[in-house]
Amino acid sequence: MALVGPNGSGKTTLLKLFNALLIPSGGEVMVKGISTAEEARLPEVRRTCGMIFQNPDNQLVATTVEEDIAFGLENLALPPDVIRKRVLDTAHILGLERLLKQPPHLLSGGEKQRVAIAGVLAMEPECILMDEPTAMLDPAARRDVLKTVHELNRARGIAVVHVTHFPEEAARADRVAVLDKGKLVADGESEDILTNLPFLHRLGLQGTTAVELADLLRRDGCSLPPKIFQDRELVDSLCLLAQNS
Amino acid sequence: MFIGTEQLTHTYMPGTPFSTTALQDITFNFRQGEFNLILGPSGSGKSTLIQHLNGLLKPTAGRVIFEGKNIGDNKKGLLYLRRRIGLVFQMPEEQFFSETVFDEVAFAPRNQGLTEDEVKKRVVEALSKTGLDLPGLSERHPFQLSAGQKRLVAIAAVLSINPEVLILDEPTVALDKSGRKSLFDLLTELNRKEGLTVIISTHHLDEAAALADRVLVLNQGKVVMSGPADEIFGRREQIYSLGLALPPVTEIMHALNEKGLTVKTAVYTLQEGRREIINALRRDRS
Repeated sequence: MALVGPNGSGKTTLLKLFNALLIPSGGEVMVKGISTAEEARLPEVRRTCGMIFQNPDNQLVATTVEEDIAFGLENLALPPDVIRKRVLDTAHILGLERLLKQPPHLLSGGEKQRVAIAGVLAMEPECILMDEPTAMLDPAARRDVLKTVHELNRARGIAVVHVTHFPEEAARADRVAVLDKGKLVADGESEDILTNLPFLHRLGLQGTTAVELADLLRRDGCSLPPKIFQDRELVDSLCLLAQNS
Repeated sequence: MFIGTEQLTHTYMPGTPFSTTALQDITFNFRQGEFNLILGPSGSGKSTLIQHLNGLLKPTAGRVIFEGKNIGDNKKGLLYLRRRIGLVFQMPEEQFFSETVFDEVAFAPRNQGLTEDEVKKRVVEALSKTGLDLPGLSERHPFQLSAGQKRLVAIAAVLSINPEVLILDEPTVALDKSGRKSLFDLLTELNRKEGLTVIISTHHLDEAAALADRVLVLNQGKVVMSGPADEIFGRREQIYSLGLALPPVTEIMHALNEKGLTVKTAVYTLQEGRREIINALRRDRS
């Protein structure tokens, strides 16, 4: 699920409520049937929902990358060989093998974020909460991280709540929820929401490039099909239009 | 040479087990008044290079040049340099320390020993350039502003020294669409209308590609490409092999060509894409 909305709309606050970093002033947040207001069960809630912050500097604690990935696992008092295996497996998924002995503060922004993600993935949570996790990553690292998260979702059934400013990233989610000024203003299939340009523009948001470009071309008189969501659909429709003219 | 480097090499923590060569033998030249991009994957050395351009780091070897002179020659030179080259760090709003927007923007001119009248004039100018000249805004706490406005305050705080070169390290990180738009509207204005030389480092080309005159591409601390923007962005295979990406609209233009609709691919904005596709469809028809 993607969570979108302008800066200051409450996306990060909502994520923190899911992870019981914040407790609701009114109402209830339920994680696997547990209310986050039940203080005694907070460890369960936080083990279920792993959080990845926007800025990895806020999430790195140890003096080497491998210790950082192992930090949460050590706190669960797992046997050392299990910890070692999980650290290596996670490092492999995120391409961090080469950096395991490095101190995190000397890494680049993108590398640091991958270490932060590794630390959460190693805990094998049932739900991953991500607050603009790719904001500081380069395109290749962004593709890797999104692919990894997608696979964790598809293959292992890990739920993902992904806060993002990029319509191209939101378009990969099954479901999109939109926040504005602290209120939920839309919640539905990603295609339905991300093709509703008047609604998105009113909030200062944007559709994917294919949706935006299709809209401009329709205004210029191109007879494109009403539902264009992916790049491929736009490209195919335009080539068809050129052939038929 | 206006601003650039000659055989610049930088090694972090030399002589220790953590010794890392972040930049190796970098030579380039950016021209006055141009919009320049420093592009490269994470860890390629962009931030290190930027810190050299206003003398925050000292070269391990080689030289950093501003207006034909080696900037590292003496201390007085560095002070002069930092008044002419403004640097906006990555996530600059995390470094705010003043109680009001006014004081934040006034910090540098006050440090230069200007009179309070002159300081006020500089602040008013900087806030007006950045579109922050809204009633009551200068008396507010910087942390009360939106993310996009905070980023603009950070830029105003640098514009208040009246720099000739404005350098920004990853300026769009964590901004939403409207924040990115205000930022690029401002950079367009400063560069195209006021002739300010702009240098930005980024790995996110979406907005920057359309403005860029000249591009320097780094990978693993070395220059891998350098030249006019259209020429660099035309080398798509190489861009991707470096783990970078062209703007989504440029990708659509490439995909159209592959599918048989001939369009120009040096297209970086939705409006350019719209024009080019409409023209191509008309050409096809005639």
